[in-house]
Amino acid sequence: MAVYSFFIFDRHTECIYTKHWLDALLPLGVNGRPQQVSPATSKDDAKLIFGTVFSLRNMVRKLGGDDDAFISFRTGQYKLHYYETPANLRFVMLTDCGVLSMRNVLHQIYINLWVEYVVKNPLAPVEHAGGEGVKNELFELGLDQFVRGLL
Amino acid sequence: MLTSSSVHAITTRLNPLKHLKGAAAGGATGASGSPNVGGTSGANGKPPPGTVMTPAGLAPSRPDPPSGLEVLETENFRMQCFNTLTGTKFLLFTDTAQANVDTTMRRVYDMYSDYVMKNPFYQLEMPIRCDMFDRKLNSYIREINNR
Repeated sequence: MAVYSFFIFDRHTECIYTKHWLDALLPLGVNGRPQQVSPATSKDDAKLIFGTVFSLRNMVRKLGGDDDAFISFRTGQYKLHYYETPANLRFVMLTDCGVLSMRNVLHQIYINLWVEYVVKNPLAPVEHAGGEGVKNELFELGLDQFVRGLL
Repeated sequence: MLTSSSVHAITTRLNPLKHLKGAAAGGATGASGSPNVGGTSGANGKPPPGTVMTPAGLAPSRPDPPSGLEVLETENFRMQCFNTLTGTKFLLFTDTAQANVDTTMRRVYDMYSDYVMKNPFYQLEMPIRCDMFDRKLNSYIREINNR
């Protein structure tokens, strides 16, 4: 069981937070340190992930009715979990195939980390264009500690 | 279903382990010679975290191609996708708690091979209008639904 990546998208379809736990899995580079994922690749991947979950969410609404909700999908290599708040905040987590359901985990991340450390932060702006106000120390430490505690 | 094909391709590309392409080949068990590709979603012997792959550890076998969407879960239904080696996709929409879906997909694939592919009047990549296939499929699905 492993968690690979975590993304947060706001209601303007912008990726406001990205976190990867791939350092232990990346092959070592020439100087013995893990090869870093380039920021351009990560940004493009975030856009691609949002497009995927957006189209899947709309497809699910068409197929299963308006009361249906997209939960997750699995491939041979990874599994993507999706959680959407009523305020159109979207949490996406990429994990190993064997992980059963991360709905409760994403809900806990929302109510215990996002609301407590980002929404209640008076220094953070109401909107987080470009990820402003999200990458604060308490949120990052809390998220990393929470996710590593799951494994 | 155009959306399903495009989403299938994108989900293949969105692999968080794609940087491990060289390392994953070392652990691949190589099913390239097997004509039957089931719905197994097991990992291809991913190296444990922190493992250093040396050139001597790379096996000469070709790694499995990365698979696309296999299971899509929602609150009301579950979509199972079976992708054959020739690129044909079988989409099965079931209840969320349906079990033994892999067996069902293999059975449907067998029916497709027998009653569609062996039909001399069927043209490839055209809508399937084989009465025998329809009857066998309906009978099988009805049998499953009555379980």
